[in-house]
Amino acid sequence: MQGTKVVRPFPFFRAGARASQPQLSKPILVLEDVYKFFRPDQPTLRGVDLSVERGEFVFITGSSGAGKSTLLKLVYRELRVDEGRVLFCGRDIARLTDKSIPFLRRNLGIVFQDFRIIDHWTVFENVAVALEIVSMPQRLIRSRVAEALERVGLAGQGPEQTSNLSGGEKQRVAVARAIVPEPALILADEPTGNLDPHLAIDILTLFEEINSTGTTVLFATHDHSLISKRDHRLISIDEGRVSEAQQGLKHWQGSSGIHTLVG
Amino acid sequence: MDVKNAITRARRGLREERRLYIVAVTSLAVAFICLGATLLGVTNLDAAATRWGQSGRITLFLKDDADPQDIAQLRVVLEGLGDVNEVTHVTPTEARESFLEEADVGADLSGLPSEVFPASLEVTLVQGVTRERSESIATRLAQFRAVSDVESYGIWFQKLDQLLWGARMLALGLALLVMFCVVAVIGNTIRLAVARRRQEIEVMKLCGATNGFVRGPFVLEGMFQGFASALLAVLALLAGYLALHESVDSTLAALTGSRVVFLGAWTLVALLAGGAAIGAIGSAVSVRRYLSV
Repeated sequence: MQGTKVVRPFPFFRAGARASQPQLSKPILVLEDVYKFFRPDQPTLRGVDLSVERGEFVFITGSSGAGKSTLLKLVYRELRVDEGRVLFCGRDIARLTDKSIPFLRRNLGIVFQDFRIIDHWTVFENVAVALEIVSMPQRLIRSRVAEALERVGLAGQGPEQTSNLSGGEKQRVAVARAIVPEPALILADEPTGNLDPHLAIDILTLFEEINSTGTTVLFATHDHSLISKRDHRLISIDEGRVSEAQQGLKHWQGSSGIHTLVG
Repeated sequence: MDVKNAITRARRGLREERRLYIVAVTSLAVAFICLGATLLGVTNLDAAATRWGQSGRITLFLKDDADPQDIAQLRVVLEGLGDVNEVTHVTPTEARESFLEEADVGADLSGLPSEVFPASLEVTLVQGVTRERSESIATRLAQFRAVSDVESYGIWFQKLDQLLWGARMLALGLALLVMFCVVAVIGNTIRLAVARRRQEIEVMKLCGATNGFVRGPFVLEGMFQGFASALLAVLALLAGYLALHESVDSTLAALTGSRVVFLGAWTLVALLAGGAAIGAIGSAVSVRRYLSV
């Protein structure tokens, strides 16, 4: 029968599944000649080629509206590519059926600028939700949440109402929620955008600590001061095209200046 | 779908949106009370009709000056009929005593004249005798010399049947109306709940929640609302029944020969299960419509 090929949830995207040896040797994320249009004549992303290895920490930068969030949205399938392919663990996620998308997202941790935590829930409830969706037993949820809260520096604050927390603490809760299912890849979309510079460095350090345990991190930001302090791989999006530096701003060889690069 | 988890989250939803749900449940309980009251009416009419229908009775009122020999002959004829189960001779004194015992209308009826209580033969027919057959027997018995009048209760059955049919139609109409109300009210309540919990839903979706995981608690909440409304209505009707049946019972017994009955166990189960099912359906329809996950 002719028709659209349906891609069912493949094993890697099932809860509890581990990557096989061949999968581990491949880049975790590959974008091949990706185009995304919101207006027919003006692509937000044009011919983006990108490869991210396992365990990498990558800054994605560019001015406001350059397409940083769009790129991340393509990865967690909030948006679908118009042309090209996005391969996560070797699988083309543009071809996933709607029913398969939740299984993709269980392998990702997503952190936003506006935290997206529920104010009338407790800290524990906000973090536990990421494990409840995979029907994990409560006993395990309790221990895993406690461990995640400890990693983000909120040990013992589980019963606290989230509305009582400061901005920095709220973002830590969001980070805890992202890391608690032990995802393969963390997507951070301007996670320091609502924080003062001091707290921004704290949060960046937190992501680096998470990265040091082997989790791949894509950290989108337009904060020049933050990028300049670290030597991570840097990918810049400008007018829909990407250019990159392997070791931070110091090694930047792009045609545009730093201010154009980071907005 | 993890049912235990869905129940936990539905409980949280009910707690957080309790004001909204209390208003919805109260409104729906009123609708269920209307339906329940009609069903109660139908049940009692049905019980009266069944009692009368099953009794299959004919009353032969005897002339005051009837010859005892004619009465005895009449009894022999009646007892010989295959359709007759039992024949009882009721004297005027027995008729008066029986009436005074059953008619608790709060007035002194002992002064009623003796003509009001003629002697009679109460004929009980066997089970399964049709009304037509009963009428035919009554017509033949009217021709006996000792008989002044025959009551086969045919006209009463006819009226009762019409009343019962009307009540059943009313109950059916009300049931449809209540179904529509429940679906509409619960649908709108869930729609509001979905709007208020938009952020939670978004967070769950980003964490990888499936459609079933997100929708499950809303369906359970709708089911609970439907069940709670029906239960509230049943309890209100039961309270009304317990408060009034004592005073209504004796009058009704005197007038119709039957007592007030409450809704049957299966009707109650149907009302509660129906409430829950319609609630779940209303919620599922609303969630499917307003929650794009």
